[in-house]
Amino acid sequence: MPTNPSVPNPYLPTPMRVLRAYFESTDRTLKTLELSFENLADKIAFFKKFNPGQFCQLSVFGKGESPLGVASAAWEGDFVRFTVQRMGSVTKALHELKPGDTLGMRGPLGNGFPLADWKGKNLVIIGGGCAFSTLYALTKHVQHPQNRPDFGQLTVIYGARSSGLCMYKHDIQSWYQRDDMEIHQAIDVPEENWDHHVGYVPDVVRQIAPSPDNAVAIVCGPPIMTKFTLPALVSLGFPPEAIFTSLEKRMKCGLGKCGRCNIGSKYICKDGPVFSLAELNALPADI
Amino acid sequence: MKYLLPKNELYSRLARWSAEYSILAPQKVGEYSEFLPFTAQSELCLQEPHNTRYPAKALFFPQSETILKYNRISGQLESAAPESQKRIVFGIRPCDAKAVTLLDTVFAEGDNQDPFWLARRAETFLIGLGCHEPCATCFCTSTESGPFHTEGLDALLTDLGEVFFVETLSERVEALFSELSPAEAAQQEIALAVQAAAEKSLPKVFELDGIKEKLDRVFDKEIWAELSQSCLGCGICTFLCPTCFCFDLVDEAQRGTRVRNWDTCMYRVYSLEASAHNPRPTRRERTRQRLMHKYSYWWEHAGKLGCTGCGRCVRYCPVGLDIRAMIKKASAYESEAQHAN
Repeated sequence: MPTNPSVPNPYLPTPMRVLRAYFESTDRTLKTLELSFENLADKIAFFKKFNPGQFCQLSVFGKGESPLGVASAAWEGDFVRFTVQRMGSVTKALHELKPGDTLGMRGPLGNGFPLADWKGKNLVIIGGGCAFSTLYALTKHVQHPQNRPDFGQLTVIYGARSSGLCMYKHDIQSWYQRDDMEIHQAIDVPEENWDHHVGYVPDVVRQIAPSPDNAVAIVCGPPIMTKFTLPALVSLGFPPEAIFTSLEKRMKCGLGKCGRCNIGSKYICKDGPVFSLAELNALPADI
Repeated sequence: MKYLLPKNELYSRLARWSAEYSILAPQKVGEYSEFLPFTAQSELCLQEPHNTRYPAKALFFPQSETILKYNRISGQLESAAPESQKRIVFGIRPCDAKAVTLLDTVFAEGDNQDPFWLARRAETFLIGLGCHEPCATCFCTSTESGPFHTEGLDALLTDLGEVFFVETLSERVEALFSELSPAEAAQQEIALAVQAAAEKSLPKVFELDGIKEKLDRVFDKEIWAELSQSCLGCGICTFLCPTCFCFDLVDEAQRGTRVRNWDTCMYRVYSLEASAHNPRPTRRERTRQRLMHKYSYWWEHAGKLGCTGCGRCVRYCPVGLDIRAMIKKASAYESEAQHAN
């Protein structure tokens, strides 16, 4: 019998303010928002829980909420970054926000990447399209001098349909100069002045052929990319326990209550969004 | 403790309780009955063998409820205050009371408990009325419940004709009944006989043993297309289900409120993603989700079956789909297919 009614309202967002807002792609479908906290207590609570791979529900009042992956690492500053693809009414409203505007945020939600289990491992990070945002957060986290010794080699493979859709361009360009990581970028079709890979991500992965020895592979991308990249990794010798992916579903509460984001008995919002391929293989094909 | 409540004293008893409690009891509305506040003019509907149309979950988790208020100009946010009121739900059937305990596992356990559910739940007493004449659509004996199941109840009434035999099940309602004359052994015997007869009138329609594993095995089989063929996708089975809890969060822009509304996995938009991908694009997948959630996933979430056998989905389905037959067919599918080979 429930007896303690004095619990906080878990559906109540924390107030946030837009710090910076800028387009991420030349076609203006991707926009990055960096949000600052209105209340110190909310900021402390957020960073106490935050782990790369988690997501938040962003609220535009009058429009609703959208679940979006966090695209920043905690050490980057007192803000939270999201890259928003304009799709429906909420994401359209998010695109219209200007620095200084207020909005709501609930989170961090979900499990995030199991960083403690990956200690000492080589990381192979594979992303496609705007799903790269949480992998960007992961890469930024690993790059910090305090975190870098926790992991072995760092390989990032990032594909986009065209160079105009490549996100975080200036930062990623600087990764080529780093001696503690490998970066491979790919676009789907050839373009002038593009001197990186051309081709689909699964093919680029086969071509680069990262070693499965003491490594974990993390794959985030559109379903079609994930579908073909997972078997490519399996054929390179990665066991299903060492392949991770982050799933997306339509979500409302983000807390495992509203029901809609389940695959079998697992809720993507609460038990995920990060799952190993071994865990996914044990679930029914309800994706 | 066990008491006798003469039927002709029921209304005066309820009137006395209503000084301190808000009383909700089944009353006739058109051809259905609903839980409505008890007043001096109320006429209770306790003789109908079947249940209220809306399940008792609606008394704790309303179909539509404001969860927060916002001001778009100032950005001011305010949580809605959870409603708390001393209430007695009188005449709740055992299947509905058990369903409320099942929903406790969603809203009142673990992280992120729901303050709206908790506030209503903590101050509400559930006084149940056992079903001495179960209906044709009832199948509680098959679903770990029964016509006189006591889970979730503070007291259970058994109809003995002129009197109700009252069994209190929690300390907190003892004072409500303490003025009544205690039941004697002979009356208890009669009550037990009534209860046993009701149980006996509802033979099990399926065995739960192994049903989860059987359903899990046929997840990707064609049986779901067959079972969902006549489904219209109206969702009434889920809206009136006492254990369905799915909800949507919607902004009412003109009022400046965010509202929680019941939602249903039987609708296409329920799982439709922004990319236009839909993991459950047809009624085949949606029917499968409804049945698998109750008969498979609930075991993993709460260690219990997510159906209490109230029969509302059977009674109110406009095309007469019967969850009992669907579960029987789906769980027998594998062996039939093997047989055919």
